[in-house]
Amino acid sequence: MAALSQSLRVVDETLTSAFDRVFAPAHNPWRHLGALAFLCLVAAVASGIVAYALYDTSVSGAYESGLRLQNDSLLLGRLLRGLHRYSADAFMFLSLLHLAREAARGHFRGVRWFSWLTGIPLLCMLWISGVTGLWLLWDARAIFSVTATAEWLQALPLGSDLLARNFLTAEALNDRFFSLIIFIHIGMSLLLLAGVWVHVQRVSQPRMWPPRALMTGCLVALALLALMWPVTSLGPADAGRVPAQISLDWFYLFVHPLVDAFGAPMVWLLAAALTLVLGALPMLRVPRKAARAVAQVDLANCNGCSRCVADCPFGAVAMVARTDQSHHPSQASVNSDLCASCGICVGSCPSSTPFRHIVDIVSGIEMPDEPIATLRRTLQQKLGALTGREKVVLLSCRQAADLQSLADASTAVMALECAGMLPPSFLEYATRLGAVGAVIAGCREGDCEYRLGDQWVRERILGAREPRLRAAAPRDRIAVVWSGRDIAQVHDTILILRNHLSTAAGPAGNAALKEQQHE
Amino acid sequence: MSSRLPTWLRYALQGLAYAAFAVVIGYFSTSPQYRLRADNDAVLKLSFSHSAQLQHACRERSVEELAKISPHMRNKLDCPRERAVVRIELDMDGKPLFQISTPPGGLHKDGAATVYRRLPIPAGAHQFQARLADGPDGAINFSKEIRVDLAPGQILIVDFLTGSGGFVFTQS
Repeated sequence: MAALSQSLRVVDETLTSAFDRVFAPAHNPWRHLGALAFLCLVAAVASGIVAYALYDTSVSGAYESGLRLQNDSLLLGRLLRGLHRYSADAFMFLSLLHLAREAARGHFRGVRWFSWLTGIPLLCMLWISGVTGLWLLWDARAIFSVTATAEWLQALPLGSDLLARNFLTAEALNDRFFSLIIFIHIGMSLLLLAGVWVHVQRVSQPRMWPPRALMTGCLVALALLALMWPVTSLGPADAGRVPAQISLDWFYLFVHPLVDAFGAPMVWLLAAALTLVLGALPMLRVPRKAARAVAQVDLANCNGCSRCVADCPFGAVAMVARTDQSHHPSQASVNSDLCASCGICVGSCPSSTPFRHIVDIVSGIEMPDEPIATLRRTLQQKLGALTGREKVVLLSCRQAADLQSLADASTAVMALECAGMLPPSFLEYATRLGAVGAVIAGCREGDCEYRLGDQWVRERILGAREPRLRAAAPRDRIAVVWSGRDIAQVHDTILILRNHLSTAAGPAGNAALKEQQHE
Repeated sequence: MSSRLPTWLRYALQGLAYAAFAVVIGYFSTSPQYRLRADNDAVLKLSFSHSAQLQHACRERSVEELAKISPHMRNKLDCPRERAVVRIELDMDGKPLFQISTPPGGLHKDGAATVYRRLPIPAGAHQFQARLADGPDGAINFSKEIRVDLAPGQILIVDFLTGSGGFVFTQS
C-alpha cells in the first residue's frame, strides 16, 4: 500500500512538474482539476438552461429538438448543444482526474475525510444527470441506453422487473416519460451544485474557480470543439430495431458494455465494492508518527486579533467570547475535529515573534508538538553549531521533502510541519543570529499540502498580509523556493543565494522571490 | 533548478495541451463504436407479467377451525392467496430456445410472475412455438405457433396477455 501510494505520488509530482514548465505554476491545470470540473458544471448548467427553453418534452418532439439545434444555420444551436454536451463530458473527465489526484496525494484522511466522503455521491449524481441528459435526445443511442439501464436496474431485487417493458414498443412510451427524465436531469444537476457547496464546506477559502487564463482556455477549447466537431444525434429511436454498432458517449455510457461483458449483478457488485472502498479510505490508519496534536490557544497570549481565523485553511479556528478576565472582547477557539495540525495559525499569530524578551516565549496559539519556544531554541542551537562561513539557515517543509541531507558546516536545516507555520519575523531573527541568508523551501507553488501555506508565506514576506516581514528586514538575504520533492532545486537556490551575497556589492536581490513576483 | 522554456514554446505547448484536452473529450464522447449484435442477428425479447392461477383451491373450514377464529373473521371458505408458478417454453424451429419457471411475486406469493429476456437469434425465417403453464398441476394451458421472417437487427417481441387470448408476437 505504501509503495503504491509512493508511486502515485511520484506520478503526480512528475505531471505537476511537467505542467509547471508549460503553464505558470499558478495556472497549472493539473493543480486546478476540481475548479476546472466546477467550471464545466456551471457551463453545462448555463447552456442547459438555454437548451431547455428550446426543448420539446414530447415523444414526437424530443428528437426534432436536437435536430433543430444541430442544423441551426447560424451555428448557435451547434455551439449551444456542443458546449452543453462537451462540458458535461469534461466535467466527468475532470472529476475523475480530480479524484485520482486527491487519492494519490492521500487527501482522503485526516481533516479531509469530509470533502472526500461528500465527493463520492457527487460522482453518482453526475452519472445520473449525464445519462438522463443523453436520453432526452431520444435517438438510437438514447433508446439503447435507456433499455440497457432498465435491464441493469432489473437485476436489483427492488420489484423493478419490468422497467424495460416501458421501452418495448413506441406505443408503450408517452410524453410523461420525457417530463420525468427532464425532472431527474435538471434535479440532479441542481443537486450537484448543492453537493459541491457541501463538498467544500470544511475548506476555508476554497478555489471554486480556476484562474482567468485557464478558465478562458478551457471554455475556448470546448467552444471550438463544439463548432469543429459538432454533436449530432443518431437516427431516431426505433423500438423495433437494434443497430449492429452504435457510437457511445464513453464518459457516461461505459456501464452498458460492462454489463454486457460481466453481467448486471456483477456490475452492481463492482459499483458497490468501488463505493465501499472509496468510502472506507478515510478509515485507513494514519501512522502514529504522523498523528500530531491539534493547535491549542494560550489565553494569556491571545489578544483576539483573529489572524489565525483568517489564515486557517480548514476553518478550524473561530473567534468566541472571552472566557478569562482579559479586556479583549474575543478569543480564538480551536475545533479539534477540523484542525489539521499544520501550524499555519502559529505563523499568523503576532505573539509568535522570536524577538520577545522572555526566555520561554509562548504564542497565542501553539502546536503542542512544536511550541514556538522550541522553534526559537532550535534555531539558536542550529545556527550556533555551524562552524563554516556564510551561514545559511534552511527552513524546510516536511510535507515537501526531507532536506536534512543539505545540512553541512555552513547550512542549518530546520524542518517545519508547513512553511506557513513560520512567523516571518523568524527570518529576520535568523539574520540577527549571524546567518547571512535564510531559505524557505516548501511544496510546489499552489500545491501546499495544507492548501494555503505557500500563499500566506509569500504574502507575509511581501508585506501584503499580517504578520508582515518588517520593511527594514534584509529581504535580499531571504530566498523562497517552492521545490516540492526536488532537493536539487533547493540546493541550487542555496548556492545562488550564497553567490549573490558574496559577490554583489549592493543588495543581492532575492532570485526566487523576484521570480514569483514576476509570475 | 529546471530551466525555463522559451515563451513561444510555452504558448505552443499550452495550445497543444488544450488541443489534447479537446481531442480526448471529443473522441470519447462518440468513439470507439460499440457492437450491439452480430451483423446477421435479430433480437427476440420475451417479456410478460402474468398472474397465474391460485395454487390451492378454496376449502370449507370445519366448525372447530371456525371456532378458533375471531367472530368477525369467521369466513366459511378458506382461499389461500398463493399463486402457481408460471412455466414458459419457447421453441425456435422445433428446438428449445428458452424455458423458465417463474414464481409469483409478492411477500405472500400472490402477485404476478414477471419475465424479461433479451435473446439474440439469427435473422431470417423461423418457426416459433410458445407454451405456458400457469396452473397448480403444471399442465400447459396456453400455446401458440407462428412463423416470422426477421431482418437483421429486427426485434421480435413475445408478450403474454390473457385478455388477448394468450401469446402475442409483435414485430415492427
